[in-house]
Amino acid sequence: MRWVLPEYFQDVLPPEADKLEHLRRKLLDAFRLHGYQLVVPPLVEYLDSLLTGAGQDLRLRTFKLVDQLSGRTLGVRADMTPQVARIDAHLLNRQGVSRLCYCGAVAHTLPATLTASREPIQIGAELYGHAGIEADIEIIRLLAEVLRIAEVPTSRIDLGHVGLFRALVGRAAMDDDAVRDLFGLLQAKDVPTLTERLAPLDATVRSALLALPKLYGDASVLIEARRVLPDWPEVVTALDELDRIAAALPGLPISVDLADLRGYHYHSGVVFAAYGGHSPSALALGGRYDAVGKAFGRGRPATGFSLDLRELVQRLPAPDLPGAILAPASGPDGLNEAVRALRARGEIVVETLPGHEGSWGETGCDRQMVWHDEQWLVVSLEGEGAAHG
Amino acid sequence: MSGITIALSKGRIFEETLPLLAAAGITPTDDPEKSRKLIIGTNRPDVQLVIVRASDTPTYVQYGAADLGIAGRDVLIEHGGAGLYQPLDLNIARCRVCVAVRKGFDYARASQPGSRIRVATKYTKIAREHFASKGVHVDLIKLYGSMELAPLVGLSDAIVDLVSTGNTLRANNLEAVEDITTISSRLVVNQAALKVKRELLQPVIDAFAGAVKP
Repeated sequence: MRWVLPEYFQDVLPPEADKLEHLRRKLLDAFRLHGYQLVVPPLVEYLDSLLTGAGQDLRLRTFKLVDQLSGRTLGVRADMTPQVARIDAHLLNRQGVSRLCYCGAVAHTLPATLTASREPIQIGAELYGHAGIEADIEIIRLLAEVLRIAEVPTSRIDLGHVGLFRALVGRAAMDDDAVRDLFGLLQAKDVPTLTERLAPLDATVRSALLALPKLYGDASVLIEARRVLPDWPEVVTALDELDRIAAALPGLPISVDLADLRGYHYHSGVVFAAYGGHSPSALALGGRYDAVGKAFGRGRPATGFSLDLRELVQRLPAPDLPGAILAPASGPDGLNEAVRALRARGEIVVETLPGHEGSWGETGCDRQMVWHDEQWLVVSLEGEGAAHG
Repeated sequence: MSGITIALSKGRIFEETLPLLAAAGITPTDDPEKSRKLIIGTNRPDVQLVIVRASDTPTYVQYGAADLGIAGRDVLIEHGGAGLYQPLDLNIARCRVCVAVRKGFDYARASQPGSRIRVATKYTKIAREHFASKGVHVDLIKLYGSMELAPLVGLSDAIVDLVSTGNTLRANNLEAVEDITTISSRLVVNQAALKVKRELLQPVIDAFAGAVKP
């Protein structure tokens, strides 16, 4: 058992590693073309700073260790979003909008979902400095672009709004424990238990909280929501925002779930999740978290999303990529130029080393270069190529 | 699969679910008590049933191996409910979770705050939370069946178990001394499935909701 990895940690081998890296580059390129600048925060930080503005859940999911230099407790990041919020709040100090993106491994003490790795590769984009829904719309469009680039089959983006729940519990004067309890029940759409718990509350709040778990589906849910929820200004504002966002995203597979409040302890407005690729849980999560910057000493409106690249790649069909081309170690004039020309076209060219005949299929070669009629031709790899191909 | 997969356990849950399935226009083509098949077809080509152990139902639905499932609340509490929606109490397979002891055992004295009690159970989470809320220290012994035996042979002071008629307790000279909670079965739904396959699942959920008996 010497070389066995701990549970939920894995090596990524060829060709999956290639697929993962290929998608990582494509997504980071897309972020770059949308004006999102790459930041690379460290793997390990002081725990206090890693957990600033985060919930209890993240605290439990963070690996901790002691810093031999300072004696302080360090954490291995379990989420890069607080790191990027710290960078925006303190290091960049921009007054206007800043658009940042990132990609890196994070570690979880317990896997986030049943199928997740304990070392997800988190990739995401965040937009700071704009409180209006234009920022939410931009970031949801960017998420849709990610799903398009990754070719996720049957995808769907589900919208929610934390403001609705906040407005309702705000008027009910409940203590934190009761609110946390209700939050859990709403997340599970546990109507039977909710009905029990809400019995002592005021009728307006009770019927509104009981309506939330049933308010999901296409955008017509928002019309129903206006009918069954109280017309308090906070509620109307939240529904208006969702209406305007849904209207601004025609052609996208948008749906609504008003009981979906993921991470409401730091989210503050519109939240969203992407589903698809037959994944049993959400592929990407995102939303507005205006209060997190304040915890870092500088309140900034913020919205963004992130996803686990490992999970995403596993959900995608294997791309049909061509194999490599085997080149002889030496040959008539022009071999080097011919090899260079093939590589310039994006072909993988592997040079023969002496004494390894018969093993080139292992390295992914399915074609070879041959000197024919005074020129270099690429033909299928005889014998072993057929066996491996 | 592009259709609907429903996870059910054999026995009481399966039998009491049949009328609900019928309300959704679904009739199984086999009887799991007679057939050894674990995947059972229905009259609807897009609906299949998978027959699982009751305590595994939440896991199958959480993994997305089934879109819908029917699970007792006892099982859901033990599982924790992560990744599941549980929108409906189906009001079937009703029973209670109780503390039971050997007849003549002074439970009131043994369960005073600060005392320590040895409890055998399949429901460790329910038992742990129950005794913690009473301020009683508890040593839990996880068993998988025949719980009633434990107090009789001195393995534990008490058991925490499901009680429906109380006949098994009586036959073994035990008595229920405290109700912890009442249990019935719930409809559980995979979260991603409800988003991606809502058009397919919602009519079934609505039909179940309409057929629940008070």
